Amino acid sequence: MSDKKNPLATLSRRGLLKGVGAVGALPLLNACGAMGQQGGGDARVVVIGGGFGGATAAKYLKRGNPNLEVTLVEPNEVFYTCPFSNLYLGGLREMNEIAHNYNELREVYGVQVIHQTAQDVDPVNHTVVLGDGTTLIYDKLIMSPGIDFRWNELEGYDEAAPQYAPHAWQAGEQTRLLRRQLEDMDDGGVFVLVAPANPFRCPPGPYERASMVAHYFSQHKPNSKVLILDAKDNFSKQGLFTAGWNEFYGDRIEWVGLSNDGRVTRVDAIRREVETEFGTLHQADVLNVVPPQKAGFIAERAGLTDDSGWVPVNPATFESTQAEDIFVVGDATIAAPMPKSGFSASSQGKVAAAAIVAQVAGETPPPAYFTNTCYSLIAPDYGISVAGIYRTTSDGEVETTSSGLSPSEADASTRALEAQYARGWYEAMAQDAWGTRY
Amino acid sequence: MRKLQSLLALSLLALLAPAALADGSGWERHAAVAEAVGEATPQLGQLRMQMPSVSEDGSAVPLELSIDHPMSADEYIESIRVFATKNPNAEVVDFFLTPQMGRPEVSTRVRVNESQTLYAVAHSSTGEVYVASADIRITVGGCLMASDDDIAEFGQPRVAIPRSPSAGEPGEVRTLVTHPMETGLREGPDGEILPRRLLDTLVVEYEGDTVLTVRMHTAVSENPYMRFFMAPEESGQAVFRWTEEDSGDTVEEQATFNLS
Ligand SMILES: Cc1cc2nc3c(=O)[nH]c(=O)nc-3n(C[C@H](O)[C@H](O)[C@H](O)COP(=O)(O)OP(=O)(O)OC[C@H]3O[C@@H](n4cnc5c(N)ncnc54)[C@H](O)[C@@H]3O)c2cc1C
Repeated sequence: MSDKKNPLATLSRRGLLKGVGAVGALPLLNACGAMGQQGGGDARVVVIGGGFGGATAAKYLKRGNPNLEVTLVEPNEVFYTCPFSNLYLGGLREMNEIAHNYNELREVYGVQVIHQTAQDVDPVNHTVVLGDGTTLIYDKLIMSPGIDFRWNELEGYDEAAPQYAPHAWQAGEQTRLLRRQLEDMDDGGVFVLVAPANPFRCPPGPYERASMVAHYFSQHKPNSKVLILDAKDNFSKQGLFTAGWNEFYGDRIEWVGLSNDGRVTRVDAIRREVETEFGTLHQADVLNVVPPQKAGFIAERAGLTDDSGWVPVNPATFESTQAEDIFVVGDATIAAPMPKSGFSASSQGKVAAAAIVAQVAGETPPPAYFTNTCYSLIAPDYGISVAGIYRTTSDGEVETTSSGLSPSEADASTRALEAQYARGWYEAMAQDAWGTRY
Repeated sequence: MRKLQSLLALSLLALLAPAALADGSGWERHAAVAEAVGEATPQLGQLRMQMPSVSEDGSAVPLELSIDHPMSADEYIESIRVFATKNPNAEVVDFFLTPQMGRPEVSTRVRVNESQTLYAVAHSSTGEVYVASADIRITVGGCLMASDDDIAEFGQPRVAIPRSPSAGEPGEVRTLVTHPMETGLREGPDGEILPRRLLDTLVVEYEGDTVLTVRMHTAVSENPYMRFFMAPEESGQAVFRWTEEDSGDTVEEQATFNLS
């Protein structure tokens, strides 16, 4: 067999991927070789998605059993995190500070990284088809494809709309576009943020974003305003956000909830105009729409989603309830009460990796527990958080064993410390998943 | 080996694929539902009851009810009632419909205390009975701790009617009013039980005729929201009137249909 450490270094990627059957190290489909089962140690694990859940899972698979053949499929060579992308909008970070790559996974852990999109999964034959037509065989598959949007569920917000009214709910070009629009906006303008109903990626995200945009306005555009139009009556850490907004931004931030006609039902992205359920029209100077969401398309294509559009899983292992040998983690899953957060995705990725390592060795997976903390910055030195510890109950549900929220009354130094913890959390996460060091 | 595994996977897929069907069966085990059904043998699988299968906020769960059924003067759906078998009070909300609605489809937002099965019972003017159910799991989301903010007062009625309604065509109508819908079962911040204060009904009239009556119970969410259809034949005035239980206080809103 060829060098398993770094096969991509010796062959051109194209040659490698097209050379069906030529390279034993990659789990490529060989027309007649597909039936060959390998010994336990060399089981083939494919991971789809190199975000929080997938990158973490790939690394922990290799840590748990270096003999596993782990292939990570991720279209992007650089991954930008949503966490701290709001800080980029607030002018506190630059894009290169939220960028990560796959060098450590490849070079230190010997994960084979293929920059392609998985187009199809055949759960019966245990294969994954990539964008360039390559087929991978797996013994176990982990998917952490994140979210896709439900285009047009919000009338007028279709696939063309984000170029005018960005969502910036997947970080990268969209985040840059939103910041450019904020910079180009005249002072005195209104930034309108359309927030979705539950469930969606990062429950406190819209409110941290409103805070960071208000912070940017307070520095550069003092007469500008933030208007949040919300499809909910309650939101994550609401009391803490509201108190922080009062302290820093006064009436610069206005929040309109569901019962005050906050639910947007129609968007005109080009004119930056939105209409609410009871017919109020709002004109924005910068319009940010966080659209309704569902699991990443590949989960649906593999037949793993239910009619909610998300993936039901067995929470003891995060194995799909719909197909054997497929594990799904992260935002794509139904894991409530765990929120759709990067921290949850990473925690679930570790549980799935441990379950696979155990199954391959013929052992029982260890009991699952999960942790999550959602930090949000309201101002550069003002952080708040909500934390939870979760476990799987005997009847197969996720249960919160303990949880906590920042105190509602706290002095400035407590809030400053939490802002510092948030930065520490980010760096620890980035190092754990992608090996990025600050 | 691999072949065996594939076969196994195939049979597993076949077993697992169909989602647990909630078609209304089991209704006879719940007294309130059985009483609403009455003597007739109900038909299952026709009335549709849509709710999310998992909700992170049991205080306002979207609920939609619909059925393919005529809404003509001599054959229409005349009531749809909803029950939550594990709520402290099983009755959730009752809709009394008329042919003037044009389409038997209604939605609202309800309180669901814990994971359970909800039932809906519909009666037609010709004596048919339809039952549906929906299973829902309630979890309180980890990043979703709500705050207890200001108590809503009774007022601020809002109504949205179709922009350009046509004669006889069912058009979507949405209504919202602020009201605390205090159940009388909940403790306030001082540990005392907050007194019960509920809306009793929403009545919708068109040119003096009742189009829809909604009776609300403790499980209708704060700031009641109702969505339904109206299919007026001629231009005219609609009146929407919410009435509070006990006090009898009302709040009213009007809307004019200019038909094309
Ligand atoms: C503004 C904002 C702020 C946030 N802040 C925080 C925070 O402070 N803390 C926190 O914990 N969480 C935060 N989140 C949430 C966090 O971003 C997500 O929960 C997290 O990214 C989920 O991880 P995931 O692995 O499920 O998906 P992602 O991290 O989105 O990874 C999915 C990956 O899969 C790839 N992919 C998708 N489909 C395919 C396919 N078919 N083939 C191959 N690859 C595919 C994608 O390219 C992507 O790289 C925030 C989110 C937003 C929007």
